[in-house]
Amino acid sequence: MRLMTFAAAGALLAAQAAHAQEATLDLVEPISEYKIYVSENVDTLVKNTTEFVAAVKAGDVEKAKSLFAPTRLNYEAIEPIAELFSDLDVSIDSRADDYEKAEADPAFPGFHRIEYGLWEKNSTEGLDPVADKLLADVQDLQGRIESLTFPPEVVVGGAAVLMEEVAATKISGEEDRYSHTDLWDFRGNFDGAQKIVELMRPLVIDRDPDFIKTVDENFATIDTILSKYQSGEGYVTYDNLTEADRVVLAAAVNTLAEDLSTLRGKLGLD
Amino acid sequence: MAETPLSTTRRGLLAGAAALAAAPGLALAATEQTTSAGQRHVTDAPIADTTNSRDMVSPHGAHQAGIVTPRPANGIVAAFHVLANDAADLEALFRRLTERIVFLTHGGPVPDADPKLPPPDSGILGPVVPPDALTITVGLGSSLFEDRPWLAALKPRVLQRMVKFHNDALIADLCHGDLMLQFCANTQDTCVHALRDVVKNLPGQMVLKWAQAGNVPVLPQRPGAAPESARNLLGFRDGSANPDSADEELMRRLVWVGPESDEPDWATGGSYAAVRIIRNLVERWDRTPLGEQERIMGRMKMSGAPLDQPDATEAQVPDFATDPDGTRTPLDAHIRLANPRTPATEANLILRRPFNYVNGVLKNGQLDQGLLFIAWQADLDRGFITVQKRLDKEPLEEYIRPVGGGYFFALPGFADGDYVGSTLIAAISPTSQTTSSQPVSSDPAPDPGTKP
Repeated sequence: MRLMTFAAAGALLAAQAAHAQEATLDLVEPISEYKIYVSENVDTLVKNTTEFVAAVKAGDVEKAKSLFAPTRLNYEAIEPIAELFSDLDVSIDSRADDYEKAEADPAFPGFHRIEYGLWEKNSTEGLDPVADKLLADVQDLQGRIESLTFPPEVVVGGAAVLMEEVAATKISGEEDRYSHTDLWDFRGNFDGAQKIVELMRPLVIDRDPDFIKTVDENFATIDTILSKYQSGEGYVTYDNLTEADRVVLAAAVNTLAEDLSTLRGKLGLD
Repeated sequence: MAETPLSTTRRGLLAGAAALAAAPGLALAATEQTTSAGQRHVTDAPIADTTNSRDMVSPHGAHQAGIVTPRPANGIVAAFHVLANDAADLEALFRRLTERIVFLTHGGPVPDADPKLPPPDSGILGPVVPPDALTITVGLGSSLFEDRPWLAALKPRVLQRMVKFHNDALIADLCHGDLMLQFCANTQDTCVHALRDVVKNLPGQMVLKWAQAGNVPVLPQRPGAAPESARNLLGFRDGSANPDSADEELMRRLVWVGPESDEPDWATGGSYAAVRIIRNLVERWDRTPLGEQERIMGRMKMSGAPLDQPDATEAQVPDFATDPDGTRTPLDAHIRLANPRTPATEANLILRRPFNYVNGVLKNGQLDQGLLFIAWQADLDRGFITVQKRLDKEPLEEYIRPVGGGYFFALPGFADGDYVGSTLIAAISPTSQTTSSQPVSSDPAPDPGTKP
């Protein structure tokens, strides 16, 4: 369908507008389910961060290292919602590049500041205030999410946002550049995206089965690759990923990013 | 127009609004027009106001466009990883790529967009994509074959992974690739638009590995003046001794793989590309005495004349035979090593079609500029590799540093209705495939290489 007449285009838009209203009503249930998913994740995040922060403040470098990636997992899964509170997102999850003096910048906060100390300095020295602030921030996030009315376009669009996250900063291995625990973050991002697709599936499957099929195939491809790198409860470091597997992941992520970028429109959301 | 040395009637170009309406068959006929008198070399500098966004270079023919067709002012080389587990995957990729190439090179209105969906076109060229002399040339890297047992036996005979030469400082992230696309157009926006279109439309089939954009300086119109080669960022004319791309017999010998070439049958009509990202150490060069620069190159800087005939033009052929001791042209001058002008080295001639690049600033505070070198030949060993081996340890090395690139095999051309790479797909033996879920095309593609 390269060219449409104005009349045909107009009729199509009108039909889509009518459809959009239906879709918005249909979204009520999946969105409330999604809110439960996010709440559960943020509860786990607070619980895990409490332990992580305690390890940092106790000066237990090894324990803190072991808790770093699993703690981030739940944050990564709910990133589309967490990012709505940009002040907290900066405070919790910004990277050294966001600061003029990079790692040396006293303003560099959050998970990645602690990651830098643990892996690059092999020390918790000076991390106490950073750790306290991190715990306060995730608790703040928990409270804010509790009272948030979830905007449907953010929830539905969140699946694509998560893939953009992976495509922009995870595939290159620059997210967790000191610990190389990027595959955990991948897992969190994919879980979060897959959850959104799962909840929206009934609204799309009849109208666009091919779309769902392609999306499912690409999630399956990612699962297959990630499972090769599983180690215990988690994953090996990112430098173990072969170039061939990285390319397969990148292609699946790029395809998902393209496909999921249409999900909002398919459900009639602006 | 005929008496203008730099005619606007460029080979393969259909200027004017008629191009948009022209049937693809007509466009094919146009590519077989002979070159106008003015367009001798692909490396001639483009002339201002002689090009038009409606210029169209047909993607169809016995050979792909973008090799012997005139070099427009702008280009991008992009290298990709390919995702293809079997012949059906590769065929789907080639067909999808062909669909994009045919649309982008002919131009036309972009599809209507639903405001609720991401627009199908980036929009950077507006609602109607102009052809703008765009060519998209598809080349394959050795890794595409070597990494796939069902394809390995069909690798072109001398296709190989680029290895380090004496002066190279190769950066892994700027080297090689399973598939290379060369975009050339009048404006860089058109190349950028085409690259983004391909990236967006084949996300599950190709993953971008590296890309380098470049351009050549456009000269003002000077009626009556002879064509001149575009200058590189060392300030020298680059391409003076290039073989005449309008000489079909010469191109048949030097550039195209032919039926007699000792190559797989499917490769007839293709060509080997040597792509090199060659950093120029321009600050250091600019601090080098003019005479030394000219002795290093073997040419006068302003005119391009060979050193042994300094008052001639760049078109003058240097006479090395009567200068065996290098009195007039040093024995290690760049042009003398690259092309010693002996009967024995005739076979090593290559068709250069490079662009200059400007990338900003390096960590050391020096300018990151250089040459996106692109050379075409029928035999990579006999062509670029032999020439570069002769150039190893040349004095110019102090001022240049190859950092990236790769070797690729440009697929044979394809006819209207056919797709790029069809001869390769047809040559894949169904029994050699690990997963032969789909038979190869039941409609055998015409072999473009059987043409004279």
